Amino acid sequence: MIEIPPIIAIVLPLFGAFLTPIIATISRRYDAERKVCGWFTVAITIAMLLTVASMGARIWGGEVIVYRLGGWSPPWGIVLAVDGLNLLIALIVAGVSSLVAIYSLVYMRRDTRIDLYCALLLLVTAGAMGITLTGDLFNLYVFFEIMSISSYALVAFRRKWDSVEAGIKYMIIGSLGTSLILLGIALLYGMVGSLTIADLAQKLGQIAPSDVVVPLALLVTGFGIKIAMIPLHAWAPDAYQAAPSSISALLAGATTTAGLYAMIRVVYMMFGAFGVGTIFAIFGLVTMVLGALMALTQRDLKRLLAYSSISQMGYILLGVGFGTALGFQGSLFHLLNNAIFKALLFMCAGAILYRVGTTNLDELGGLGKNMPITAGLFAIGALAISGVPPLNGFASKWTIYIAGIEAGKAVFSLIAIIMSVLTLAYFLKAINSIFLGQRPKRLQNVEEAPLTMLFPMMLLAVLCIVLGVLPSLGIDLVAPAQGAIMNQSGYIHAVLGGI
Amino acid sequence: MSLNYVVAMLLIALGLYCLLLKRNLIKMVIGLGVMTDGIHLFLISMGYREGGIAAIVPAGMLQDNVAAGFASAAVDPIPQALVLTSIVINICIVALALSMAIWVYHHYGTLDPSEVRRLRE
Amino acid sequence: MEFGPGFWGPIVATIVMLLGAGFACLMLLGSRKISKVRPSIAKRSTYGCGEEVKPEEVIADSEQFYSPIRRVFKPFYRYIQPGHSGKLNTYLLWVVIGFIAILVAIALVLR
Repeated sequence: MIEIPPIIAIVLPLFGAFLTPIIATISRRYDAERKVCGWFTVAITIAMLLTVASMGARIWGGEVIVYRLGGWSPPWGIVLAVDGLNLLIALIVAGVSSLVAIYSLVYMRRDTRIDLYCALLLLVTAGAMGITLTGDLFNLYVFFEIMSISSYALVAFRRKWDSVEAGIKYMIIGSLGTSLILLGIALLYGMVGSLTIADLAQKLGQIAPSDVVVPLALLVTGFGIKIAMIPLHAWAPDAYQAAPSSISALLAGATTTAGLYAMIRVVYMMFGAFGVGTIFAIFGLVTMVLGALMALTQRDLKRLLAYSSISQMGYILLGVGFGTALGFQGSLFHLLNNAIFKALLFMCAGAILYRVGTTNLDELGGLGKNMPITAGLFAIGALAISGVPPLNGFASKWTIYIAGIEAGKAVFSLIAIIMSVLTLAYFLKAINSIFLGQRPKRLQNVEEAPLTMLFPMMLLAVLCIVLGVLPSLGIDLVAPAQGAIMNQSGYIHAVLGGI
Repeated sequence: MSLNYVVAMLLIALGLYCLLLKRNLIKMVIGLGVMTDGIHLFLISMGYREGGIAAIVPAGMLQDNVAAGFASAAVDPIPQALVLTSIVINICIVALALSMAIWVYHHYGTLDPSEVRRLRE
Repeated sequence: MEFGPGFWGPIVATIVMLLGAGFACLMLLGSRKISKVRPSIAKRSTYGCGEEVKPEEVIADSEQFYSPIRRVFKPFYRYIQPGHSGKLNTYLLWVVIGFIAILVAIALVLR
């Protein structure tokens, strides 16, 4: 039977992106362009979230949903294959994009060309959803490029000096990365002759591991640029600082998650190279340390949050690198939590920027009296990211520490705990500089952020608290994904066995 | 046939040289284009077969046993499809990069990447 | 996976932390009742280990906020932080060096 939900989840934002300029032109005549475009984007992303959630019951029962484009079977046609890992990442991407769409209704009120913004936002979402739901390697590359190019344009959206500088740097580094991915795919095709991930997994199991070193290195480098692994991270602080804050939240929540999913799928389920885990653990450790140390001396709030994002991705790579079931569970849970609290923190930074006009820590101060709700939500996000109970960061970081001790690498867990303390340190500095302390005279009349901006932030904070108080809920969400990573042969049978 | 691969690797190396060592944003974008051209040449050459026909069934072959004879004589059409897709993607990248370079010139007055560095550390 | 070996789950850890904070608050309020706050000029001035400290040197801006930690990790802050110079060519060189490092590491693992 033909499975509809995967293809609908990709087609909805893609066609929505193409319809947005038409709708904007029509509604400009009635002078309602901003409202119509904004609510259209919100409607499309929520419809996409419901489509993805409707697959949940069947996939958590152990099934793998396979959709063949055009009716052609793999390995001659393109398939969309959804198993436990894809569903988790698709839920994260859909959830973050719908909350960012609601947040952008008010945040982009002072910007022009809102129709282009909504079209690009839907294209980034379509690209990220395509990466998570596809089962074909070249299709993954095409959706990766769609997501990347739309995010380059969104980073440079405001066309000010910092936006274009960050945009051109992100663009050139990112394009080098995707060229390396294309070279890796070319080498793989020449070696094996197939492009479907399941078919490649079957055929690569039969050739010697030392033959696939160069394609594996090229693919890891290309995806590593997207997730800002050290030393490929240089675009990240500039891009997160200069982009509009809703786009920073989208980059931190959706595109990084999709990039990490592509890395896990290619390295662990296609190459089956579980021995590469040690390399991921070492790179993850270096990423975590460098991100935390650079964040300690930052002057700008969004740049501090960018280095913090790099550091959290180091935790996730560390958990993946341990290679045990508990390590994968911990890192996937931390991926879910990272999307939640990073999006929350970037939205709070956007609320401050919207009301005050600057995010320089030296010029802010004492805003706790003016913006109490934003201060409380920022504090919840900061405590969650530092791993303080009873919030969700504690549960996932605890799982990663225990996984490290059980895998025999207790030194890594020790360094991770020290970096957690430094995370709390720089977030306390941020909270102190912005919300506590003396308030400058010119900030006396700053008001609280608007309610439509506070609503997605409050929803994310409630998720932080719920996943922290009931961590078994998070582990239940993540266990099917971890089972899917270990179950390579089941995936191959489900995708190829339907011929 | 290995001449194609040598030239492709040379193009990739030259493109990388332009990206790393040239002090002009336009030259860096040209280097990116040269590098992707090298990758496309590499991909196409992998599907080539000496003395092969294009991957379209000619009219004379339709009556006989098409599959066996055709598959051993045609070049591989999949790399050609991949390269067409990639060329279109690269058009988008070059167009967006050049328009961003125009905006950088508008704000900074120069196209030298070592002058365009107000966001640092 | 139970969160906490045996007893220390997140709810229990939070309750203990809140009880400890409440106890510290009670001690603080109790001490205010016992002895009044008596400020004097010597108590209000900043103690600089016997040296003269000007008031504008005391407040640290956001970059110098953690100067003790900067002193501990000195090699990092002397070489790696200025390495993020903002030049695009340097960043691309890092990507190439990163690719070579990943290639060598994977070649060593997957022999």
